[in-house]
Formats: sequence, structure tokens, C-alpha cells
Amino acid sequence: MTALHAFRDGARRVARAPAIVAGTFALTLLVALPLAIALRGMLEAHLGASLAADAAARGANYEWWQEFMAQAAGLGTTFVPSIIGFGAVLQNLSNLVDNVPMATTIAGVTGAWLVLWAFLSGGIIDRFARDRATRARGFFAACGAHIGPVLRLGLVALVAYWALFRWVHPLIFGVIYTGVTHDTAVERTALLIRLIAYGAFAMTLGLVNVVFDYSRIRIVVEERRSALGALLAGGRFVRRHAGAVAGLYALNGLTFVVALAIYAVAAPDVVPAGAGTWFVLLAGELYILVRHFLKLTFYASETALFQSRLAHAAYTAAPPVVWPDSPAAESIANASPSALR
Amino acid sequence: MCAPLAIAVSLVVAAAVPSAAQSTSATARSPRNASYTIDARLDPRTRTITGDEVLAWRNVTERPAASLQFHLYYNAWRNTTSTWMRERALAGARDDTRREAEWASIDVTSVRLIASGGGPADVTARMRFIAPDDGNTDDRTVVEIPLDAPVAPGQTIQARLTWSAHVPRTFARTGAVDDFFFIAQWFPKIGVLENSGWNCHQFHNVTEFFSDFGVYDVRLTAPRGWVVGATGVEQDTRDTADATTHHYYQEDVHDFAWTTSPHYLERRARFEHPSLPPVDIRLLLQPEHAAQAERHFAATRAALRFYGEWFGAYPYGHITVVDPAWQGGAGGMEYPMLFTAGTRWLAPPKGVQPEEVTIHEAGHQFWYGIVATNEFEHAWMDEGLNTFSTARTMWQAFPGRVYTQRYFGGFIPWSFPGLPLARDVDGDRVAGYRPAARQDVQATPTWRYWPGTAGAITYNKTALWLHTLERYLGWPTLQRIMSTYFQRWAFRHPAPDDFFAVATEVSGQDLTWYFDQVYRGSQTFDYGIDVFRSEPVGSQFHTAVVARRYGDGVFPVPVRVTFADGQEIVWNWDGRDRWKLFAVDRPSPATTAEVDPARVLLLDVNRTNNGVSLHPSTRAAARKWSVTWLIWLQDHLLTYGFFV
Repeated sequence: MTALHAFRDGARRVARAPAIVAGTFALTLLVALPLAIALRGMLEAHLGASLAADAAARGANYEWWQEFMAQAAGLGTTFVPSIIGFGAVLQNLSNLVDNVPMATTIAGVTGAWLVLWAFLSGGIIDRFARDRATRARGFFAACGAHIGPVLRLGLVALVAYWALFRWVHPLIFGVIYTGVTHDTAVERTALLIRLIAYGAFAMTLGLVNVVFDYSRIRIVVEERRSALGALLAGGRFVRRHAGAVAGLYALNGLTFVVALAIYAVAAPDVVPAGAGTWFVLLAGELYILVRHFLKLTFYASETALFQSRLAHAAYTAAPPVVWPDSPAAESIANASPSALR
Repeated sequence: MCAPLAIAVSLVVAAAVPSAAQSTSATARSPRNASYTIDARLDPRTRTITGDEVLAWRNVTERPAASLQFHLYYNAWRNTTSTWMRERALAGARDDTRREAEWASIDVTSVRLIASGGGPADVTARMRFIAPDDGNTDDRTVVEIPLDAPVAPGQTIQARLTWSAHVPRTFARTGAVDDFFFIAQWFPKIGVLENSGWNCHQFHNVTEFFSDFGVYDVRLTAPRGWVVGATGVEQDTRDTADATTHHYYQEDVHDFAWTTSPHYLERRARFEHPSLPPVDIRLLLQPEHAAQAERHFAATRAALRFYGEWFGAYPYGHITVVDPAWQGGAGGMEYPMLFTAGTRWLAPPKGVQPEEVTIHEAGHQFWYGIVATNEFEHAWMDEGLNTFSTARTMWQAFPGRVYTQRYFGGFIPWSFPGLPLARDVDGDRVAGYRPAARQDVQATPTWRYWPGTAGAITYNKTALWLHTLERYLGWPTLQRIMSTYFQRWAFRHPAPDDFFAVATEVSGQDLTWYFDQVYRGSQTFDYGIDVFRSEPVGSQFHTAVVARRYGDGVFPVPVRVTFADGQEIVWNWDGRDRWKLFAVDRPSPATTAEVDPARVLLLDVNRTNNGVSLHPSTRAAARKWSVTWLIWLQDHLLTYGFFV
């Protein structure tokens, strides 16, 4: 299977698993919603019965916004103009690649969301590997069955990514980029160098990312219990199928860029409250839904590629999970005859 | 010192002046009491300037001058122990990554006093560094040369100085990066003698400059083929095998700056106006900004037009606009007849740059170049007046600008059409003033401001109190105040009281109560509505409003209540008490109450509490913005979801 076939197959597998798309979308929404409600409370408290609220409802009351920011703490510090429309995407991507620290609350919720995703990734990959409905029971059974090695792998990934951002990022941007552009007097040249730096960091990040992706897939598809073993196996797979892996990664990345470009044009700007609020919500959530679809396509297409490239191409993933008896049933079954008397 | 020196100095008073000073005529706009003839050569390879200057200085005070004091600004960046660097460190900035060759220095190699009929007297050995502001013995930014015979009032002395300077990687808008050079504050420059003595401050981190007017006759030698721009008008050039000497000459200016680079694109345009003199505009542009030439011209024309119409004409007939190189560090700075703008390769058409910075620096030709205030002590007089004027011009000439944010290391801009900028908020920069409001009393000499907030007190606060004054007195009155002040003090050195006196005279009002608060005090202003009720009482609705003065500043503010039937009541409140009750019985219930509804008091640090509605849109607004934030947070999670 070529990268393109794997990509198509992955997209098809995701399309055939709407519950997974809806479920992950709902997860993200549910994680974010409490914070949004908390922020709404902060905004309400600051606005009070002020006439400034009218202007903020009609459009963007930048003066009030500045006053809010001047007194904001914690979550409130993230309420900045960049959250509007496509600015949100640019800010998040920029913060990631420029290694900008997060507000503590946001860091906490991001960490929690990542742990939840790590937990679900076993079930998601299992679902895509089987390419058939597994139902909630099967899905969560797979999540539970793989949680140990997936979390252990996650810990290794955490260390790896931390090292990348702790040492490699400062090396590329703080030492190399700064050194190379020290005497650069032309902005276009500096931008080109920065793009190269971004490319270099993205490649490093992507390489690490893809190894962990396939490691996770191997944990699930091959029912591996050893995270380290899976990591080595994932690395071997990436090395042996480097072209296809890179091609597929690029295809997924390209699709992501296209989606962002469409959103850049279509993202709602500041609108009046009322119907406008619902329009922003719908347009925004549609975009978020697409982002979930693309993320899942990443998983599914990589799973498809892995399955197609293994010697046992007709390999089927792990057998259906058999639930153990309940503790009560088990204790009854194991009880001595005298105890049953 | 040797005997001939005393003789020479005694002869100085009748000394023949050099060519520059000889041009002093009845048409002189300024006193022209500090004139320079300079011959300087730049070696870009070693980044050194060697120079020779002849200063003709006339004592325009009523006291004799027993010494001469010179600024040696480049020594501020000689090492980390100068006052400038210590103050910079105080504000949190660090320079520990700067390479050895990127520091600066200026060394005066000889000083000779020139006397007519006698040979020059070498006084080099008399030079001593002084630190009149803080006693920092490591600071070498001011040098004093005692004289054997004082220079009497009205008399002129000539001195010939030779020096060598090392150009730094840019500090404070002067220096070099790659082969872009912007050279300012680069030559030994005499201080300003006042009746109270020398006003020759050390170079401070938060201040700029102060100097007397004169005639500058300058020859600059730079590599052949390099473009040179400078204060004044180029007279001629002279080529040698590998270098070109550019001859610039200008009368009635108080400083001289220049720039050179082999890469400049040169563009020219002309400002013409039915009632203002024409001005030739020379634009030195970075090649990557070639497409933005017209934006620079339009902004320069706007400044020349509106400042000219409001305050007075730009008199020189020529101006040079410099677009500095990326990382040049020279952007946004003014010098007589030459200023640096500043833009980026990607500059959104609805963003504020390069227009705003261009207007601001062009505007400094008026507030700084012509009305030459003491920036060491009263920086607000040029920066504040100019920030106000810039905002007014910007919103007149280039309306409809929107908030722009830059991402990815600052390279990629993105504009937010739904977030329009407003003159009163963004042009006057109330957000920057708010946290700094109490940090310093504006009347404190600027060089003693806390470094971290000096800018907010100097720029923002002044713009806000001027804009408040505009709304309080009306623009025609404020315009007359500023134009009278401009005309009266052009080519002179006004002090704060001179401005306040003109304001009182022209407005016909005693504004001391206002200037006492905004200039001589650090009061903050914050009025708000505390209580607002409208309840039925019989056939009427009893409406009660309590307005409060939360800040310590006092300003007269009206209180307006609107009613459901569309009627409104406005009470005038002198704003003195801590709170004031306003009550009325009307057949219709009230809907909103607002203190300072016309937004006169732009210094109010908390506008949100100014107006209250009995039917506020709070929930709708909060819902809308929390939904927008929700999308941002979800996108954030998915972006960092890259890791799983």
C-alpha cells in the first residue's frame, strides 16, 4: 500500500466510524466547556451592569477588553484579541513552535486532555485496525486493555518531547538562528532562515512523533505489553518504511494545512451577540470537528499503512476482549464447597 | 597650563568664526550659538569614525562661562558601568551576550582653543570627566574643559576637537548592523549653558537630548557607491578612488545625524500645499520595502500638512525619511530634517505601521526640531505633545485602522477587521498609562523617572491629558494654544511653565487646578456609577443615581440618565466630593446612567464603571466572548494534541 492509498484508506476508516469522531469531539468540548463557563463568569463579573457590555455585545469593545486584561489573572490572562477567528489558530500554532509558556490553568487542562487522549488512543487504534464497529464495550475494553503500555509509552514520549523543547528548541532558535541572523539586515532573509529553523525543528519533532505513533499502533495491533519493545519496533518500522511513512505524514500534514487555509478565509470575525453567537459557535465547532476528523485520519491512515506493510498483510488485530467475571461471580466460583453451604 | 594658553583664551572672545558661523545673518531663525564645521570619515570595516570639528560657541546667557562641557554620548555604551547601562539594567534589560566589538566608545584625541591672531592652544590635558547627575565616576558621557579666561556673555569661543569613535551594534537608535549605519549623537557636542549654569546631563537610559541651535557644515566620507543621507541638504560630493565625501550644510538646527548603506533605494517626492511652503521629501528605503514607498510619502505629507495647518509651517524645505534595515535598531527616531521610520516586510494595509511611526517622527520636526525643549528634563514636552499630535493626525489622515498581531517570531502579521482602533484609546495609549499612573510625578526631571515606566508617563499620560484638554476646552481653543506656543517658542528652549502660561493666556482660564494634578501630581482619575435605581412610586418612577469619585483626581464631570421614553437628564457635577446623589421623579423609568458620557476625561483609568444599565447586555456579551474563547481553547487542545 502506498502512502496515498493508506491516506485514502485511513480517511475511509474514519468516515466509517462516526461514533469515534463524535466521541472525541465531545471529549474535547467537554474538557473545554467548564473553563469556558468559568471564563464567562469572569467576563460577567467584570462587566457587571456596565454599559460597556452593550458595546461588547454589539462588536468588540477593545477599551473594555484592555481594562479586563489589566486586572485579569489565571484563566483570564488568556482572553486576548488573538482568540478571534483565525487569530486563534495562528496564536496556538505560533505558541507551540515558538515554545511560549502556557498559563497554568491552560497547561493543567491540556495535560488532562492529553492523558484522556492517550487512554482513548488504544480504543481508537483498535477500532481503526479492525475497521469495523466495536461498540462502546469493545472500544473501552480496548482502551483498558492497552492503557498500561500506552501510558508507559506516553511517559517516554513526555520525556522525549520535553527534551526537544528544553534543549533542541533553544539550540535551534536561541543559538543557531540567533547566531546565523546576528548580522542579517534583511528581514526576508531572516524569515527564510527562521522558516528553515522551523522546518528543522518540525522534522525533528515529526520524526519523534511518527516513531511514537507507530509504537502506539504496534502496542495495540500486536497486543504488545512492553512500551519500550513497542518503541523499538515502532522505530524499526519507520526506518524500514521511511518513504511511505514520510509520504503519509506529509499527506496528512498537507491536508491539515489546506483545512487551515479554508478556515483562514471562512473563520467568523467579530459578530453581534444573539444569532451571531450561535453562528460563531457553529462555524467554530464545525472547524473543530474537521480538526478531529483529520487527527483521527492521521491515526487511521498510519494504522492502515502499518497493517499493509507488515509481512502478514492479512493480519487481524487482537481477538475480541473477553471480559472477566465480576468480582462477586469470581469469588463464588472460587469459593470452597463448605463456604457455599 | 602654559602662558600662551591664557593669552589665547583671552583672545577667543573676538575670535573669527569659521565658515558656518559666518553665515549668521539677519534672517537667522535661531540664535545659532553652537555651530559646527565637521569633517568625518567612516571606516565600515572597523566601524570607526575619525573626526575633526570646529565649534563656534557663543555665550547667550547673562553669566560668564568658566568652562566648556561636552557630551560624549557614545561612551554610554563603553561598558556596563556607565549610568545609561546601569539604568538599563535597573529596568531589567541585559547585554551580557553583546560581543566585544559591538560596544561603543568615543575618545577625544585633542582639544585646541582657536584665537584670532594667535596659534591654537592645546587644552587636551585639561579634559576631565564629570558626572553632574549621579556622581558615577565610571561614566564618561560628559567631559569638562576649564578655561583660563571665562567666556563673557555675548562673546564667542572657538574650539577644535579631533576624536575617534567606535560605532556600536545599535544602542538607542545609533549604530550599525551588517553594512547599515545610522550615526547619531556621534560627535563631541557642547551642552547648553543657562543662566543657572551648564545644562549638560549625563546620558540616561530614558532620556534623549538637549542642545543649542547652530549652523552645521559637515563633510562625511563614506565608501564610494554608498548612499548617504543626513540632516540638511547635500551641497556637493567629491570622489576619490574608494571613497566619496558628501558635503552637507544646514542652518538653524540643533543636531546632525546621518546614515549610510550601499543598499538604500532612493525615492523622492514633494509636499505641496496651498498655504504652506513646499517640502522636498527624500526617502531612503530598504529594497525589501520598495512597495511601501508611497505609504511613507503619504504619512510624511500628512504630518507636514496637519502639523503645518494646526501649529505652524515646516520651514526647511527639505526632509529625509530613513527606512532602517531590519535589526538596525534605528527605527522611530527623530533628528533635525531627518528621521527614521520603521516598517516590516509584511505590513498589512490596515495596520498602523509604517504610517503611525512615520507621522510621529516627522511630527518631531515640530515638537523637538523647531520647538527645542530639554528632553533630559522635560521629555513630555516633545514626546507627549507629539504623541497627541500623531494620534490626531493619524485618525484624520488614515482612519479605519484595525488591531494587528504578529506571530511566528513576529514575522507573520494578522489583522482583525472586527477590532477597529480608536484615537482616544489606542492613539493615546490609555492601556499603557493605567499601570504606570502612579509611578512618577510628571514634573520630576525625566532623567529621574523610574526606567520601567518613564515612557508611559512621558508619552501616554501627556497625550491623554492633552486630549482631555482638547475635549474640555474644545479643539479650536487647544489648537490656538498649541499654535501660539509653537510660534512663540520656535527655535528656542521653552520650559513647562511657558507652555502652561500660553494655555492660560489663550484659553482665558486658569488651568492651574488641572496642571497641578496631571503635571505636578500623580493623581489618578476614576469616576463611576455606584448606585442606580428606578422604582415606581405612585404614578411616577423615582430614579436615584450615586456617582462616585474612586480616584484621587478631581475633574468636573456630567452625569446623564436616560429614560425609557427617550428623554434624558444631565446633571453637572464638579466631581469634588467622594460621592454625589442625583435623584428625580419622572413618569418613565430610567434605563441607563453614565458619568462623563461624552468621554471628556480620557485619563479615567476605569471606563467600565462609568456607565450602568438597568437592562445590561452582560450575559449576551459574556456568552458571545466565552464562545469565541471556547473555540480558541479547543483549537489549542488539538494543536497540542499533536503529542498524542
